[in-house]
Amino acid sequence: MTENKEMLLPKDTRYLKYPADGPFDQEKARWTAFNCSRCSVCKWVDSWRVKSAKYARICPQHTKYLYDSHSGQGKCDLALALIDGKLQWDDDPEIKNILFQCTMCGGCDAMDKGIRDAELIKMYRWLRSEYVKRFGPLPEHKTMTDSIREYDNVWLQPRLKRNNWVKELKGMGIKDLNREKSDILFFAGCTYGLSDELKGTIVNIARILLKNNIDFGILGNKELCCGSPPSKTGILDEFERLAVSNIKQFNALGVKTIITPCAGCYGTLRVEYDEIEEKKNFEVLHVAEYLDRLCQDKKINYKKELGITVTWHDPCHMGRLGRPYVPGRDLEGVYEEPRNILKSIPGVELVEMERIREYAWCCGGGGGAFTGFKDFARWTARERLAEAMDTGAEMVVTSCPWCETSLRAGAAGMNEKMETVDLFDLMVKAL
Amino acid sequence: MKNRDRNNEQHQQILGAFQTALGQENVSDGPATMNAYFGDWLPPKTLGTSVPPEFVVLPNGTMETQAIVKICNRFKIPFIPVGSNQWSLSSAPNRPGTVIIDCKRMGEIHEIDEKNMFAVIEPLVSLAQLHAEANKRGLYIGSPEASAQSSAVAGHLFQGMWGVGHRIGVAYRNILGIEWVLPNGEILRTGSFSQDPACGFWGEGPGPDLRGMLRGYAGALGGVGVVTKMAVKLHPYPGPRTWPCEGHIPNQVSILPEDRFSWDIVKYDDLEGAINFMYEVGRAEIAAVLQKWPTVYYAWWWANSNEQYWETWKKRTFQDNVKNAVGVSLWGFTSKKQFEYEKRVLEDIIEETGGKRIPREIYDLWVPRTANNWIRDTNGSRMMRPSGTFLALRLPTDTLRNSIGVVRTGYEWVNKFSPPILDSDGPDWIGGYDFGHFGFGETDFPVEKTPEDLGDLMNKLLGMTKEDLQNGIENGIGPFLGGTYHAMAGKVFKYDKLLKGIKKAIDPNLVSNPPHNIPVED
Ligand SMILES: Cc1cc2nc3c(=O)[nH]c(=O)nc-3n(C[C@H](O)[C@H](O)[C@H](O)COP(=O)(O)OP(=O)(O)OC[C@H]3O[C@@H](n4cnc5c(N)ncnc54)[C@H](O)[C@@H]3O)c2cc1C
Ligand code: SF4
Ligand code: SF4
Repeated sequence: MTENKEMLLPKDTRYLKYPADGPFDQEKARWTAFNCSRCSVCKWVDSWRVKSAKYARICPQHTKYLYDSHSGQGKCDLALALIDGKLQWDDDPEIKNILFQCTMCGGCDAMDKGIRDAELIKMYRWLRSEYVKRFGPLPEHKTMTDSIREYDNVWLQPRLKRNNWVKELKGMGIKDLNREKSDILFFAGCTYGLSDELKGTIVNIARILLKNNIDFGILGNKELCCGSPPSKTGILDEFERLAVSNIKQFNALGVKTIITPCAGCYGTLRVEYDEIEEKKNFEVLHVAEYLDRLCQDKKINYKKELGITVTWHDPCHMGRLGRPYVPGRDLEGVYEEPRNILKSIPGVELVEMERIREYAWCCGGGGGAFTGFKDFARWTARERLAEAMDTGAEMVVTSCPWCETSLRAGAAGMNEKMETVDLFDLMVKAL
Repeated sequence: MKNRDRNNEQHQQILGAFQTALGQENVSDGPATMNAYFGDWLPPKTLGTSVPPEFVVLPNGTMETQAIVKICNRFKIPFIPVGSNQWSLSSAPNRPGTVIIDCKRMGEIHEIDEKNMFAVIEPLVSLAQLHAEANKRGLYIGSPEASAQSSAVAGHLFQGMWGVGHRIGVAYRNILGIEWVLPNGEILRTGSFSQDPACGFWGEGPGPDLRGMLRGYAGALGGVGVVTKMAVKLHPYPGPRTWPCEGHIPNQVSILPEDRFSWDIVKYDDLEGAINFMYEVGRAEIAAVLQKWPTVYYAWWWANSNEQYWETWKKRTFQDNVKNAVGVSLWGFTSKKQFEYEKRVLEDIIEETGGKRIPREIYDLWVPRTANNWIRDTNGSRMMRPSGTFLALRLPTDTLRNSIGVVRTGYEWVNKFSPPILDSDGPDWIGGYDFGHFGFGETDFPVEKTPEDLGDLMNKLLGMTKEDLQNGIENGIGPFLGGTYHAMAGKVFKYDKLLKGIKKAIDPNLVSNPPHNIPVED
């Protein structure tokens, strides 16, 4: 086959190869927006994956608010108009809602990637940061922002409290990486680490790791927020500060592998840190990826049959947003590992929802919507719970503190009950 | 251009009227919301010819839609109904003060009647939704290459050219009953809806078949009111109840069961050979899909990134292998035996017509990832990827044989207008419908999405249309709609006269998407 030199190719070389490298700046935002063809693919589950009329939509924001402006396509139109000066930032108070109601779940982004080379989520982050530059953080996000600046965590908790969760594991051999060496860092994250309601999960994970003689350590009081919340809510200077500090700290400690149970931390450490110039000398795994290896090697000794039917909710940030974007490459994520773990637990039957993997429906908890637009977040969660109920499962299992919190908040006040359980809590029940 | 030319008091009055009818949350006049409703993938916005609407309204159901249309008549404001709103050429306002009637709150499938094989749907039901529900019941409906996320009602009202047209005809022939708010605000129910609004099994009557009013060359473009409910035919489907799909975006593959479905891509020395084959397949009354795709279609639907598209193009992977090839999909509708019979007939036809299958490696590369888009489309929007947009010229709707001549003269224009038309390898798409009883052609090619390139090309295409008219060429409307369509459709179809007559009767205030169809004001 010969190469024809006379071919008429596009003059703009970005059509020949999408410029995935480099910072996502205004020029890239404009390119993404300009090339939107308003096909509506970002509003629906990929057509080949639609299994019913009921669960055919992908975008919580558009499904709830209906106007096209409140969708991926609409945000492209908005970006283009703002960049080209056809709209001014203060022309319409609705701009705030269009930008911040969105859960940053990446459903639209994944579907869009099926038909073109583009990065919608990066465009949204850029838009949000431009908004914040002009108007400051949303009032609803101010507490979180102040907390990060003051305490390096999102929950207004003193730094010392970060270590509380390990107290009951004292003397069991968890290393403090500030004093001892280990190749593996267990990065708990602010939400699991500081919430009394959720910290049991990381205690359980630590127990499983210890039982299997895994040599690992934690950062204790020195653990900082991964930077996910400021990254998603447009406060990019704080994201950068935390990311740079974290990368430097991990590199300095000689950590080779970071394992985290939080999907939000996972996506941030694994994907968003690529935007930081500081070189990463470590790999990032979700605990599910790590423990799946042990399950495959039959190293986990289960003792009990649970006798339950469960369904798995794919957290967006360990799924479709859990890998760096390479145009044309499969949108892979941590999809199979948690399912493998569930299948390895005796007496657990896994039934699937209709919208799974890269075409999963969001829990409503991401992107600052949980604090900024509570009713919408709750509605989104209820849509998911309804889908879970339709599978006949008794509980929905997931592995993300934001998803768990959001789904539980959504369940409150619902007539039918659907419990949300963390994967590792379920695992421990069978040990 | 300003999006309104009335004063604020008048604007508020209209806003108030809409809000009273629909509730505050279902009416918007905010600039950020309006900004999402005026294009674009084809030229209008890029060329600065469209304007944001003044209002977007979200009625729910026929009565609310009727209320909106009546308000539009009272204030004499133009409205445009939209489904997924992908066809920006006709759905983007091009005059100030327009109301978009967005059907987002009308997304119900009212009924799927398995026995009588029809569905009753609202305007926002997507084709993929309808497919999924129909498939569960062993039934089927086609999808245009706009992809199955587009509205099923809009698809039936529009061009209606879909992959399986060979077997089930064009979409608009599959319309049964319609519930329809006329431009003057009256409600019209056709077919059996006229006897019982809950019952949509029968299309014709009473009296003259009014469905024709909704048709133009490419639908009425929202020019004769708003369809709020439609009954559409469904067809037998021998495939799995859930659409088969493996892998991840953007490399998913879809393979239907081999004992009931097959794909063959058969190549000929020239276009005549390909069309002759299509006639023979039609004559034998076999197959469900029969399409002669242009080379660009192979690459458009298949490539999973811009880089892959252009690298494959530069290597001539498809150009050297699929020229004058016809894709044919056999379905074992009633039994495996019927399927085997059709296979044998197809084999005979290929032999008799001197066809050759495309090389195995090209088949294996293309078919699993791409072919079934012609049964349920998911990659159609990839058409815009290589250069931001595409355009077409010469769109004949006549016999298959007639399409040959029209698309062939289209090549000359493509060559003449390259650049700005980019490399496209003789982009002739010819689809067979109703077992080859009629054919549809299109000459699609990539153009770089810049106002300069598009502006240049639009002018050239308009010149071409005028030249065609002068030369008495009566076939091959193009390109799509707008100026050239206006220049041609009246002369060719006398559609201007027909539409003016219809409008006079049902749209006295000319409020229903007036400028996009044939200009009717003069
Ligand atoms: C990439 C691409 C490929 C395409 N390929 C094909 C193809 O192969 N075959 C084919 O037939 N078409 C094709 N089309 C055109 C396609 O059919 C339409 O774009 C599609 O069906 C439109 O669906 P929609 O929901 O986006 O319609 P819209 O853009 O919302 O509407 C299309 C027109 O119908 C009118 N309309 C919409 N809803 C109503 C209603 N309820 N009542 C009255 N009028 C209404 C609108 O005013 C508008 O003028 C293609 C389009 C694209 C973008
Ligand atoms: S899927 Fe992409 S190209 Fe299509 S409307 Fe959405 S953002 Fe635009
Ligand atoms: S990120 Fe999620 S909520 Fe936001 S526009 Fe995309 S699909 Fe909708």
